[in-house]
Amino acid sequence: MKKKTKQRWVLFAFLSPWLILFSIFGLYPILFSFVVSFTKYSGLNPNMEFVGFENYIKAFQDEVFLIALKNTMIFVVGTIPFTTGIALVIGILLNNRRLKGKDFFKSAFFLPSVISMVVISMIWIYMYSSNGLFNTLGSLLGFKMEDRSWLASTKTALPAIMFMDVWAAFGYYVILIFAGLQSIPEQLYEAARIDGAGPFRIATKITLPLLKPTLFFVIAINTIRSFQVFSEIYTMTGGGPRNSTQTIVHYLYEVSFRKFEMGYGSAIAYILLMIIMVITLIQKRVLRKEV
Amino acid sequence: MVVLLLVCLFPLLLTVLTSVIPEGDLFHIITGKTLLDFETNPMFLRTKMKTIGNKTYELLKNEKSESENTYLEIKNETPDELTGIGIFLGDKNFQLIKSFTCDMKISGGITELFIGIKDIDEQIKILPLEGDLIKADWGKQQIVIPLDRYEGVDLKHVSQLQILFSSPEVGDGICLDNIGVNYKFPTLMNFVNVWEENDFARYMFNSGVISIFTVLGNLILSTMVAYALARKQFRGKEFIFGLILATMMIPPQITIIPIFMMMEKLNWINTFYALIIPTLVTPFGIFLMRQYIEQLPVEIDQAAYVDGANDFQIFFRIILPLSGPGLAVLGINSFITSWNSLYYPLVMTNSKDMRTVQVGLAMFSKLNQVEWPKLMAASTLAGLPVIIIFLIFQKQIISGLVDGAVKS
Repeated sequence: MKKKTKQRWVLFAFLSPWLILFSIFGLYPILFSFVVSFTKYSGLNPNMEFVGFENYIKAFQDEVFLIALKNTMIFVVGTIPFTTGIALVIGILLNNRRLKGKDFFKSAFFLPSVISMVVISMIWIYMYSSNGLFNTLGSLLGFKMEDRSWLASTKTALPAIMFMDVWAAFGYYVILIFAGLQSIPEQLYEAARIDGAGPFRIATKITLPLLKPTLFFVIAINTIRSFQVFSEIYTMTGGGPRNSTQTIVHYLYEVSFRKFEMGYGSAIAYILLMIIMVITLIQKRVLRKEV
Repeated sequence: MVVLLLVCLFPLLLTVLTSVIPEGDLFHIITGKTLLDFETNPMFLRTKMKTIGNKTYELLKNEKSESENTYLEIKNETPDELTGIGIFLGDKNFQLIKSFTCDMKISGGITELFIGIKDIDEQIKILPLEGDLIKADWGKQQIVIPLDRYEGVDLKHVSQLQILFSSPEVGDGICLDNIGVNYKFPTLMNFVNVWEENDFARYMFNSGVISIFTVLGNLILSTMVAYALARKQFRGKEFIFGLILATMMIPPQITIIPIFMMMEKLNWINTFYALIIPTLVTPFGIFLMRQYIEQLPVEIDQAAYVDGANDFQIFFRIILPLSGPGLAVLGINSFITSWNSLYYPLVMTNSKDMRTVQVGLAMFSKLNQVEWPKLMAASTLAGLPVIIIFLIFQKQIISGLVDGAVKS
């Protein structure tokens, strides 16, 4: 009996770092922000006033939030096919047995993914600037370029950030897709070749079906990541011009830590969580059906 | 493939190349420019220069040149007194400058020229210019200033450059035109500038401290939890593990408001505590290390247990040393995550002293939108530690990514 108690203490000691930190910085904040989302609370005035669903209702009447929601959707839908598609093509090219220096290529494509989004944003602010790479190249090719940054126009700012995001993110997925491709047994390809299947048939009948779990996984984590787009918006445009690049998380930051409307901010955070959960569930359903 | 790769990495190359440019941007490199060509009217000229030793000067037309060309002539009024002009530079970094150029004509018995440098704190030093520069007729002069002799003057913040002469005879003078400056190219001064003048030394230090403690915390604490989950049998184990995995999916935006409120109550905003403690144990670390420890043979710790070792001894003497490769993956990944994070340190700091390098860079960019060389130097600095670590440990980083992602 004594030994068992001791064992329990030892177990508790080993788990305690997680137990303590998770309760303080995980569980408690998750529950507390749920409570806060039903109150009118500002960081400046410590009195919480219970307001029911007002914050949630407010969100869907708040023009800026709706714009942010729309922009985030555009961002997610507009980047993921390209990120995944490019990663898939490069992954398949890398999987070619005759290609030498695979590790080198893998690392090189991956390199942008280890660099912080702030640094990447800085590089692209520079390239998008009025005298930057894109305008210079455009003028050289004979296009009439507008003499301003691509990020300064409501029409081009969001697509410009999306284009950058595809560049910054695809290398990460190349690695995942490549790992998925490597797990497809070589014998399958050989058997197909013996049966006289061409490269196109091999790709559609063997590679893609067997890669499906990896692809769904890639799309799932990419969706979650893209819904939380913040750093590039904060660094490049601050949500502007005229909210044309406002996204949910950036708006949440502005509401909570610029205006200090923490109740409303918590409600937005929970709406975001809901959206992510619903989309993850839908993706899981689809995944289960297809595989 | 190679072409693809070059297109893909081109932006990074662009950044590094731009960071060694003195001014302008990569497509418009400014290696020199004209400071004063005296083609403006006297009223406007007063905002650009002043005279020294003599209040009056004349703007004359150069008859020889075909285009409209005005130059300045200044003569001395008092024997042996320094006379000349001071050119306002605002706040210029002389370390960036290779040389000055000007067109010059000298009359009378002037034997020596003097160059004065005045910094923004009004410290001034005037020294005779070495070398044989004196010409009676118009000639282009390259003036290389021996900066190391101007000690006591803050050469990074020069507000005025003075070109002076003295002569025993009243009425001697110099004529000046097209005063310009040549920059050093390529230069590393942009790096020095952001490091020293724009607090990047402090930012890098903060990020370094935070990252190192986060890495150490994860290596020990996450691995401890992972050890319990890998080796101990207890009720609710799978539930805890499932919970840990589930927390990986929760967006940090949910928790940050209460954490911010908590830190504010504790007065921990702008402290290392707020930036380090919440990241000491991560779900990713627990998950990764559990996988690693599970594939270590159980017989080793059983043998140690029979020999009378307790769990802590087993953990610190056997499991930790044997987990080297797993710890490497975890350490490197924690470092990169911690170094690159923006959202959390942005919320938890508001003083300049406590900014991390990512926050500092984001703020810096808002203030210096057009100084591309400086911005790119700052970006290179902020990205460099991670890139170096990546180049050394690519294998571990990529395997950590595949383990962490695919197997879950």
